[in-house]
Amino acid sequence: MNIKNAFTIIFGKLMVKFLHLLGKDAGNFPGLVLWEMNKDCLKAFKVDCPIIAVTGTNGKTSVTNYLNHIFESTGKVIITNKQGNNLDTGICSLLLNNCDMRGRVKADYLVLEVDESHVPVIFSKLKLETLVLLNFFRDQLDRNGEVETLILKVKKFLETFEGNVVLNADDPNVSRLGLANPDNKNIYYFSVDRYAGATDEPYEVGEGKFCPLCGGELVYDYYQYSHVGKFRCPKCGFGNVKPYITAKNIDLDVPSIDFEGETYKISHNSIYYVYNLSAVYTAASLYNFDKSVLHETFEKFEVNNGRLEKFEIDGSSLLVNLAKNPVGANMTLRVMNEHKGEKELLFVLNDNLADGHDVSWIWDINFTVFRDVSRVVTSGTRAYDIAIRIKCSGYDPDRITVRPDLDDAMEEFFKVKGDKYAIANYTAIQPTRAAVKRYKEKKEVNAKNG
Amino acid sequence: MDKLKILHMYPAMLDLYGDSGNVEILGYRCKMRGIELEVHKHNLGDKETDFTDFDIIYLGGGADFEQQLLADDLLSLKDSIKAAYDNGVYFLMICGGYQLMGQYYKDSNGEKITGLGLFDYYTVASTDKRCRCIGNIVIETETDGGKYKVIGFENHGGQTKNVSSPFGRVLAGNGNEFECSAEGYTERNVTATYLHGPLLSKNPKLADHIISYCMERKTGEKYVPAPINDKLEEDCRRQLLERLLTK
Repeated sequence: MNIKNAFTIIFGKLMVKFLHLLGKDAGNFPGLVLWEMNKDCLKAFKVDCPIIAVTGTNGKTSVTNYLNHIFESTGKVIITNKQGNNLDTGICSLLLNNCDMRGRVKADYLVLEVDESHVPVIFSKLKLETLVLLNFFRDQLDRNGEVETLILKVKKFLETFEGNVVLNADDPNVSRLGLANPDNKNIYYFSVDRYAGATDEPYEVGEGKFCPLCGGELVYDYYQYSHVGKFRCPKCGFGNVKPYITAKNIDLDVPSIDFEGETYKISHNSIYYVYNLSAVYTAASLYNFDKSVLHETFEKFEVNNGRLEKFEIDGSSLLVNLAKNPVGANMTLRVMNEHKGEKELLFVLNDNLADGHDVSWIWDINFTVFRDVSRVVTSGTRAYDIAIRIKCSGYDPDRITVRPDLDDAMEEFFKVKGDKYAIANYTAIQPTRAAVKRYKEKKEVNAKNG
Repeated sequence: MDKLKILHMYPAMLDLYGDSGNVEILGYRCKMRGIELEVHKHNLGDKETDFTDFDIIYLGGGADFEQQLLADDLLSLKDSIKAAYDNGVYFLMICGGYQLMGQYYKDSNGEKITGLGLFDYYTVASTDKRCRCIGNIVIETETDGGKYKVIGFENHGGQTKNVSSPFGRVLAGNGNEFECSAEGYTERNVTATYLHGPLLSKNPKLADHIISYCMERKTGEKYVPAPINDKLEEDCRRQLLERLLTK
């Protein structure tokens, strides 16, 4: 180890210790400082174990948590960024917290969720074994730039990458990346067979309309959701890949799916979730797990943390889901619509830096699908914007209540008992969960005191 | 029932940033006045489109990649589009759509796309892809004979120059160029702007102005749109103007 790297680690460790002495949760900050000091600081860490990384627009946190759970179930020691922190500086902080004074990171595996745009910079410095690529949707355009720019960044990285690549065959934006390095034989596609809710025409806004190879128009046999589905380019043949794993017999009523001839019970009934599990299964299959571990995980494991998280409050049931882009929101609306009977929706929309300041993505959410939605409450720094959006889809404005403050919103939302759904965007999700819990506690205390 | 016809150009390609919402909003506000807004599409390669047949022609914003793909198609339609413009058809254009109607657009890869040349302005983007005007923006416009603040979100690398009659004066944000005083381009039957949001979502008066213009052109009589429940829009404008204009 050279002197600069040795110094970087010692300085970083002392910084973390000092912050702990002050009673501060170090968070991203040490990584940020280290990165400023030494752009190559990731190289200062000595990581001998394999690294598995998960990237893509939606589902990173869930897939990372599932993989982590599978590895840990078999007694492996894992270092992971369960809570996000998926930028270069976040990974740097994570390693700093988990290394010794000489920068050695001791674990059996590193399972990391990584922001799409940070894949190249992080893994030019750390040796990656497996990259899982879930999907590319439009997401926070003002922060991330156009989707194409992002895809090209990852493609450039893959051109020289020789490790395992797990790819969603049904998303043309992802599938194309299997061709980035023709010499790489370790390409593993996953696909999901047509499910009952798939449509012949696109149902929600998407990106994959034109062939990324020749510019011709793509033809779809069906759409599972957004631009994910069975596609091909009649001009150049793009789309003709042989999946390594295909999820079959998608039954969202049980719900269950089949992998390699075996039926797995799963805990949520959304096609989007089925895609996440297919990615998990494919990545896990590269590491030879006993199938019982996968059965147990798929049937019982919950990420919670605002990902299809269930609450029971004062006679009402609530499902909370994060949505930071139209595809995520449309997915939750699908789940809501497939639930029979009347229900109410809370939508919490913020426009903080991490959300992207631009909220016009909400206009790509398809609200005309509303079925038996009796009332809408909106909240967050852009509560009015989402209220206007829902109104202009044809929903009666008198049934929309705007409560920018979250605690006020909860009081309003739970005024009537029933089935409820909440959608919150990135910086809104944790405050929303906290407000839900505060409200629940208050109700329970009130009930106790009679 | 009264009817207006809108032509949504390249809806599959120029639909970044929720811009298609403008068509949805026009449709909604027409419907509330008992007007049916019939939405037609012009897609890449369509040969039969008669542009003079419509009341409104709408173009949204798109990525550089898509703008290049459709540039030739657009040029091949020049005569029909020009005839519609001369006839007084209303042109509403956002971002990429705005740029493509000018002389040319030199994109962030340094590639020059010839515009339709309907107007004199031209646009040049920095080759540094991070060099973009991004953020909330408020401009003061002349709409329906009075001053009207228009609120939106800009996100463009292109710097538009040689604009003879801007759409508005910038109160907060950048405008046609970095730290510019002018935003967009306007004529009697043209609104061209960088404002996303989508544009009409927070500026219902502008939407109604376009509807009134089209109804008057069609019937030859003065048209006053009936008021609708815009309480959400009013509250939204109050909140945002206070936040964006008080420093």
